[in-house]
Amino acid sequence: MKAWVKRMGALVGLAAVVAGAAFSCTNKGAQQFGAEGQLGASTSVKDLMAARNLSEADVEAALKTYVPTGKLDDYLIFASGGHSGQVLVMGVPSMRLLKVIGVFTPEPWQGYGYGGESDKVLAAGAQGSHKITWADVHHPNLSETAGDYDGKFLFVNDKANGRVAVIDLADFMTKQIVPNPLVASDHGGAFVTPNTDYVVETSQYPAPLGREYVPLDQYKDKYRGLAMFWKFDRSKGRIDVAKSFGVELPPYTQDLADAGKLVSDGYVFINSFNTEMATGGTLQGKPPIESGASQNDMDYLHVIDWKKAEKLVADGKATTIKGIRVLPLSVTAEEGVLSLIGEPKSPHGCDVSPDGKDIVVGGKLDTHATVYDFAKIKDEIAQKKYEGKDAYGVPILPFKDSIRGQVEIGLGPLHTVFDDKGMAYTSVFLESKVAKWNLKELKLVEKISTHYNIGHIMAAEGDTVSPDGKYVVAMNKMSIDRFSPVGPLYPQSFQLIDTSGEKMRLLYDAPIGIGEPHYSQMIKADKLKPLKMYPPGTNPYTDQKDPQAVEGGKERITRDGKTVDVYMTAIRSHFTPDQIEVEEGDTVNLHITSLEQAEDQTHGFTINMYNIDLSLEPGKHENVSFKADMPGVYPMYCTEFCSALHLEMAGYFLVKPSGEAGKDTEKPKDEKAKDDKPKTPEKPEPKK
Amino acid sequence: MSHDAHKSGHPPVHDPVAAKVDEHGHRHLRVVGQGGPQHKVPLWRRWLVVGVTAAAVALFVLSFTKPYWDFWLYAPQYPRGLRVTIGLTGVTGDVREIDVINHYIGMGHLSGAAKTEREFAAFGIAGIAFMVVSFMLFAGKKVAKLALAAGLALPVIFVADTFYWMYRFGHELDPHAPIHVQPFTPTVLGNGEIGQFMSYAAPATGYYMALGGVVLLAVAVVLRGRVCKDCSQAGTCGATCKNAFVLLPERPADGGTR
Repeated sequence: MKAWVKRMGALVGLAAVVAGAAFSCTNKGAQQFGAEGQLGASTSVKDLMAARNLSEADVEAALKTYVPTGKLDDYLIFASGGHSGQVLVMGVPSMRLLKVIGVFTPEPWQGYGYGGESDKVLAAGAQGSHKITWADVHHPNLSETAGDYDGKFLFVNDKANGRVAVIDLADFMTKQIVPNPLVASDHGGAFVTPNTDYVVETSQYPAPLGREYVPLDQYKDKYRGLAMFWKFDRSKGRIDVAKSFGVELPPYTQDLADAGKLVSDGYVFINSFNTEMATGGTLQGKPPIESGASQNDMDYLHVIDWKKAEKLVADGKATTIKGIRVLPLSVTAEEGVLSLIGEPKSPHGCDVSPDGKDIVVGGKLDTHATVYDFAKIKDEIAQKKYEGKDAYGVPILPFKDSIRGQVEIGLGPLHTVFDDKGMAYTSVFLESKVAKWNLKELKLVEKISTHYNIGHIMAAEGDTVSPDGKYVVAMNKMSIDRFSPVGPLYPQSFQLIDTSGEKMRLLYDAPIGIGEPHYSQMIKADKLKPLKMYPPGTNPYTDQKDPQAVEGGKERITRDGKTVDVYMTAIRSHFTPDQIEVEEGDTVNLHITSLEQAEDQTHGFTINMYNIDLSLEPGKHENVSFKADMPGVYPMYCTEFCSALHLEMAGYFLVKPSGEAGKDTEKPKDEKAKDDKPKTPEKPEPKK
Repeated sequence: MSHDAHKSGHPPVHDPVAAKVDEHGHRHLRVVGQGGPQHKVPLWRRWLVVGVTAAAVALFVLSFTKPYWDFWLYAPQYPRGLRVTIGLTGVTGDVREIDVINHYIGMGHLSGAAKTEREFAAFGIAGIAFMVVSFMLFAGKKVAKLALAAGLALPVIFVADTFYWMYRFGHELDPHAPIHVQPFTPTVLGNGEIGQFMSYAAPATGYYMALGGVVLLAVAVVLRGRVCKDCSQAGTCGATCKNAFVLLPERPADGGTR
């Protein structure tokens, strides 16, 4: 962050000078920045460029990315936060970090996972008896309407634990985490169908569906892949598990997936590797998976007719495993729901072109990007033009007849994105380059270096039916010499590339110091219409006014046996009530409503040492429930510098010890009462 | 009133509202008989007074739901400013935020201001409308001028009351408030400054409508004055207009008195 700030600070100065120079040049034809210029008589652009050792290209890049104060970015990036389990929101072209959304991991600033109802969202993501507090976040996907981003929701998967999360872009909050009880990991997700009917999640490392123990020697018989179709209920903003279904797949390691669009709507494409079905066994003298999985020259592109699958499931052809309806492999193979097509050696990346006609698969261990022709594939499926069937009876379509062609990209082509001028951009991992090529003519146009080991690539609305064509972002796994050293764990990097001109231009390096971001998506900023504040009393986890919402003047503390309910409000600069006393062992339910209705006027709330930490944005309501099992005195205070009297926005939470210890404290309390300063007027008198 | 008409010996008016357009295009209420006594004042001049008065009253009534006064507050952390609008029926706008800010200096909630006034505002408007209409259209020449005073009462009382409440709010500060400030009266018109806030206050649509109503009333009074000057009963009318201005046929100068 600090490096960013410095960098941006430098750019601010630079851009001001350059802009001034341009103005003065056009006016006076003078090289010198105005002698009375705000930056002083001695400063000229050239001096500054010399002093900072900047080229003209550097200055141009600075001017293309600098966003002055008060102006907003044109695009927003939603990027995976990788291991952090979070999602990053960044602005383009500035590459400024705008927000880190807590998704699979607790996030203290948003009070996500620290005592409030967000705990339930996180808890729902458990896959077993263990609490999972991290994730390997991979692929954020924006909701779509008719194949174009609509700016309403974001979905993201956790590869490590086979989970998908739903983030509502009304308040940029995670609303739901859905653990997939069938898979042991996922990768090909979370990709949406063109109208967000389904959020697609495909497994990565095969395992028995349901994850029960089966020895590895039964891998081919019992281990399976799965393409999961999570039904998204847009009106509720949640995934409807009961209406979702899975399609059982052979135990090839399914990798990336993309939903067809326009002509190919109704289909999902998944690439795979390890059709060798290697399981390692290095201690037994077998080759590691890396070799075992790289023996075949061809692996399989999976083509799933999901509309047909949906119909078969509706017709009762599915079996239910752990509450999830699954279309068995026997059915998928027989009914033509699933077809396979060869794809060159251990591919990565599987991307459908904007018109939906082409599917591009990166070779990874092959130097080509292979372009499949959907019209041919559809034809072959219809005519059952099979090359053969695999060991599971799944039809294999002829490779040569299914492709439109191949482009020689370079070493390690991975993912492909698109612009509005018929160009495709493929990340080339081993060469650390972005390759630009003509999709129609299948001709390489240009390459540009990235730094280093580019993984995913992303373009402005580049996977929609109408890409914007302005920017491409290279998501690099290594930064090596690009940033100031910060210890052996180096930042990852995003490199912003301008694709609006004839030639690609590298504009900006943004370090990502939070995890490996994998994939991201870029949406036009004006498509997002987030809330500025919540309607009063809103519970963000139900998106409705909370039945316990507290109005000003109706604050109270009630006790029912061992349960204490505190109805509290927060508004500058006080909590009401500000004194709460309970007895050890009481269950305390806090119901806190922020009465604020001013933009950006957020309060925080903590009862320290009880690990309770909430963010109370204007209008928000939070419910906290905990056991007061630690007697003592706990200041509770506002954790956002909300106002001039922020430090005074505090109170006391007292837990009176039960039993003997509690009786001992009675005496001093009586003495206190005498000195006629009643400190706790609305404190509930302990019963009995 | 129609009683008077019978008494004065004129032919009975069967339908006092029936009108006839004469060769000059003037509308006459009195239609009975042929070639009745000459009018000193053409009827359209009387109707003009009625029309202008009605327009004034309409402005008063329509202003009832409109914003009367805007108060703006600007501070660095409110780049879009805060606005509170007061009208005859209540306070709207960023009231909650202003209340939050005001509580630091111990100022009361805006919703507590002018409660009674707001409650009776509708009666006030109705009363003013009633007075204006009765003074202007049924009263004698001298009393008619009071219509202007009745109309003027609306904007004048509004400003005076606003000022009064501003004064009260600025002076009845809670002594236990976190921030102690010298009692003050928030600016009611134009620019002011308090703490980090720059304030600006100005009349709004409703108030301008009320002022427009007053101007129209002034015009009506002048027009009415001219009518009265030319009236057959000029100089003889008392508290009430003997012609009921337009409702009764104009009496001839000679038989004007009872």
